[in-house]
Amino acid sequence: MIRRFVENSFSEHYTVSIGVHILKKVVEIDPNNSVSLILWDLEGTDDLDHIRESYLLGSHGIIYVFDVSRPTTFQNIHQDLATLDRKAKDVPVKVVGNKVDLVDLSEVTEILENHTISFDYLASAKTGGKVNELFEQLAKMLASDAEEI
Amino acid sequence: MLKKFKENHENGTTHFILTDAKGVVLESNQTLFKLCTGAPVGTLHPFFFSIPEIMATVRETTSFHCVQLGSGDDNLTADIEVYKKKENTILIVVHDLTKHYLSYQAMAQSRNESLIDSELILLKNHELQERERFKNEFIQNFSHELRNPLTNIIALTNILKRTDLTSEQMRILSILKDSTSNLKLMLEDILSISMIAKGKLMLNPGVFNFPQLVDFLKLTYNTRAKEKELVFSITADEKIPEYLEGDRLRLLQVLTNLCDNAVKYTKKGSIALHIALNQKRANTVNLRFGVKDTGAGIPQESLDTIFESFEQLGPTEGVGLGLAIVKGLLTLMDTDIKIDSTAGKGSHFYFDVNLTYPLHQPEVPVLKERSKKMKPKRKKTSKYKVLLVEDDEQVQAALFKILIDTGDFYIDVVSDGALVMEEIVNNSYDIVLMDVNLPNISGDQLVKVIRGFPFKNIKKIPIIGVTANSYQADKNSYLKMGMNAVLSKPFEEDELLKTISRLLKKNSR
Repeated sequence: MIRRFVENSFSEHYTVSIGVHILKKVVEIDPNNSVSLILWDLEGTDDLDHIRESYLLGSHGIIYVFDVSRPTTFQNIHQDLATLDRKAKDVPVKVVGNKVDLVDLSEVTEILENHTISFDYLASAKTGGKVNELFEQLAKMLASDAEEI
Repeated sequence: MLKKFKENHENGTTHFILTDAKGVVLESNQTLFKLCTGAPVGTLHPFFFSIPEIMATVRETTSFHCVQLGSGDDNLTADIEVYKKKENTILIVVHDLTKHYLSYQAMAQSRNESLIDSELILLKNHELQERERFKNEFIQNFSHELRNPLTNIIALTNILKRTDLTSEQMRILSILKDSTSNLKLMLEDILSISMIAKGKLMLNPGVFNFPQLVDFLKLTYNTRAKEKELVFSITADEKIPEYLEGDRLRLLQVLTNLCDNAVKYTKKGSIALHIALNQKRANTVNLRFGVKDTGAGIPQESLDTIFESFEQLGPTEGVGLGLAIVKGLLTLMDTDIKIDSTAGKGSHFYFDVNLTYPLHQPEVPVLKERSKKMKPKRKKTSKYKVLLVEDDEQVQAALFKILIDTGDFYIDVVSDGALVMEEIVNNSYDIVLMDVNLPNISGDQLVKVIRGFPFKNIKKIPIIGVTANSYQADKNSYLKMGMNAVLSKPFEEDELLKTISRLLKKNSR
């Protein structure tokens, strides 16, 4: 998803991320202002309790991504969000369902509602659907938070 | 420890960078990267961009494992330690562990792929189960809906047969009767497969006469084979005990399905049913049943699918449930069907099954088939009074005609469950024929009310339940509620009249 946003590319050949990849993208939030996003792409894990805490140090926002085509990736979402809240206190979290291109959108929405899962975006790294909106909205939010501080 | 650090240093796998608090490079040993003094460390890679801010929140030191610092084909994966040093400086130590992490990456990739594969298999399996459940539900509802019209056709065909008909009309009627019989058998097959799939089918073991079962098969399939100019033979081991214990009905269903199939797919030659005694020990026998034909045979690629519901080899009569039923029933019997087949030469279906046998073989009198049609014995003085409760007008008309044609009954008809009690209280009926599925109050609920009535003449009325629901468990529950007999639609005229006769006779004792 980050590669789609930063490089506008997508590879069908899926390579598992290990550790952390860090990429940078400058996002224009209005004609006069832009924000440099340093994006830390962390490897997926079954249990966020095991995530290395140093990866979250200094973060201003978190994007929590699950795979809408694999229920096992969102069955622990409530627990994971609670863990993030504990490990990265007061850091805003955006919840995103990826791979919507693989499923029936109304069916997925119904399943997520049944699991009381609220999400910010249903996106597709493959088609690019909602990816830019997600990062741009997050950038705007972080810039506005920084101004308030 | 120092030796290792030294080695790493000398071999060029560890890089030291010293920066000020804002991340401006003060010193760098240039081992992995070329860094100029005075340049912001963030220009090296976005990872370093965050270091000054992170270190502002850290007391002394922190570390980052497996950080991907490469770009494009230039792969560099490192563990990084960051220390706060004196005079507001930051020491960054980068350990190049690319080789180590490459092997870890391969392992993680393979683990993740197998995890995703197993999840996909689970999802697929779940989807298939859902489809199977939907199919079974549809089949059950569909077969249920067919039962009323089929009851009607069978009843009216029988009635028509008793009218004056020309020989041509008789011939057409006979075809009609055969067709309805086939349709009835198909419905029974559909019911069996749906019960097996839902786990509702239970075996009902009992002692049965084995030679009688063999004779029945011999008689049935000799005739069927002759019609197609085929030769049918049965061989059974003489050492098999005369009386065996098992579910005779289901064993017969397996064997008839196998023999039916053999007849269906064999155009010339022979069909042989062989029953061998594999083993006899204590009170248990292990028998091998096999049906061998010289028919069409089954291509190798179809052997895996022929036991699935609605699978058929080429266009033939039937709905393709026979072998699925065979497989399902044999699974219930803790065994499995095996097959040797060559396309164009024939097939051999066989299975081994354990049955018990009574050590003291009983002397059970052989029941002779009664050929005479049962009719209720009429009271000399008057006819019987029947209450027919049925909401389907066509079934109602057909049942009415069957009963009235016997000349033995006065019949009242009610089509609404709510009106039944009033009729029963105000009239004195000899028997009630009651559909289970009625508007307003169902037949099974009515039975409970009738059986709880304080007056003996009402409480004891014989009640025959009529239902399109053919599950044995449901029929048993209707009997438990107080029905004296339950007939499943579609039923034959004889079956209805025999049941009425039996209950009237019992009640007059």
